[in-house]
Amino acid sequence: MPLTVLVALVIGGVGGIALLLHLSGRSRRCVLTPETAEAAWLRQFPGDRVAEATVSKDGHAALILTERGLGLLWAFGADTVARRLENFDLIDKGDRLRVVFRDFTAPAVTLALDAFERRHWLNRMQDP
Amino acid sequence: MTEKLTYPDVVQMAVPFFIALILAEFMWIAWRGRGGRYETRDALTSLLMGAGNVAIGIALGFVTWRFFMWLWHLTPLDLGHSWWIVALCFVLDDLRYYWVHRFGHRIRWVWASHVNHHSSQHYNLTTALRQTWTGTFTFMMIVRAPLILLGFHPAMVLFCGGMNLIYQFWIHTEAIGKLPRWIEAVMNTPSHHRAHHGRNPRYLDCNYAGVFIIWDRMFGTFVPEMEEDRVDYGLVHNLGTFNPLRVAFHEWIGLFRDVIRPGLSLRQRLGYAFGPPGYSHDGSRDTSDRIKAQHLARHPEQAGTPGFDEMRPPAG
Repeated sequence: MPLTVLVALVIGGVGGIALLLHLSGRSRRCVLTPETAEAAWLRQFPGDRVAEATVSKDGHAALILTERGLGLLWAFGADTVARRLENFDLIDKGDRLRVVFRDFTAPAVTLALDAFERRHWLNRMQDP
Repeated sequence: MTEKLTYPDVVQMAVPFFIALILAEFMWIAWRGRGGRYETRDALTSLLMGAGNVAIGIALGFVTWRFFMWLWHLTPLDLGHSWWIVALCFVLDDLRYYWVHRFGHRIRWVWASHVNHHSSQHYNLTTALRQTWTGTFTFMMIVRAPLILLGFHPAMVLFCGGMNLIYQFWIHTEAIGKLPRWIEAVMNTPSHHRAHHGRNPRYLDCNYAGVFIIWDRMFGTFVPEMEEDRVDYGLVHNLGTFNPLRVAFHEWIGLFRDVIRPGLSLRQRLGYAFGPPGYSHDGSRDTSDRIKAQHLARHPEQAGTPGFDEMRPPAG
């Protein structure tokens, strides 16, 4: 197959499929409840015991308290990703809170939190 | 000796069919409301990984080709290119695939390349295209050397490898349940391969087959997909990025960071490079064997079931 045809096929195919998925609502992020957040955390850390799951108002993130300390769970597309809050920096961006992990596999996540939530989460994350 | 033998580049030729089948699977799922899940960024990452794999194949394919032609000039054997030699080559290359794939899950150096194929939390036809960019650097082309030294022409070996890859495309789907028993007994199927993509302790390190599941049955790595243990797709520690560069290189970076850590013995450094994924010199990480043992400690009733056949929960 000529390279130009292959390149056109790949670009057209990838772009077309991505557009179709987006337009059909497949870009929606998962929305958590305290119960689903706990289950999602245990899916990543099955040996943990969850003491408390605090879900953000938009439902896209949760602070998880376990006997091993605090962790963050967040919507990753239609699924979730979880990390213990051990090596990270916080950047307060006013209407958002950016959590930067020292982890090549999960470099950062931006949380949309209202002013009250942001203060509360900042306090808990800075003094776990 | 056959000097020049040409076969079509079947993987490139299959690209339009890949696109058409992805669209068909998506329509089927949208219409029936079951049979799998699609997510935009996940699918886009998978497709970009596939495109990158093809591009790197074009750019670096000469490395493998020259190595194979060097072997071809070394061997006095030439089996020709009759149809049954091609068929035999296909079967033996599938055995080669089984072992390369098994190494890919049990040796971190090879896992660093293969991990990206397992990095999606979804399982659909785009996942099939989430292919490595770094396969050349694992040097696993060496495992094909015996085939060429036995007299199979390099072009035939690569053709059979391409056919093997194409076969594996359609099994990356939840839209097809279990197939008739005789097919499930001999062939790698969507059901068998779903289990292979599971991060559930039961399904870790099972079903390495490419085309014929008989290799797993022969070498003791077969685990059936079980209704009572629904497959949870992805990695033990799932990625928090859709960035294809991070997906492609994250394990290599982790590996090299571990190997150059100060204060390790040579044996420990080799363990981080060539030990099983999850190896750590201080026991701070979990290999698949430990993950299974920990799971059995929580669920002792599952001991002796598929995936935990020879395992017993730890005493106490």
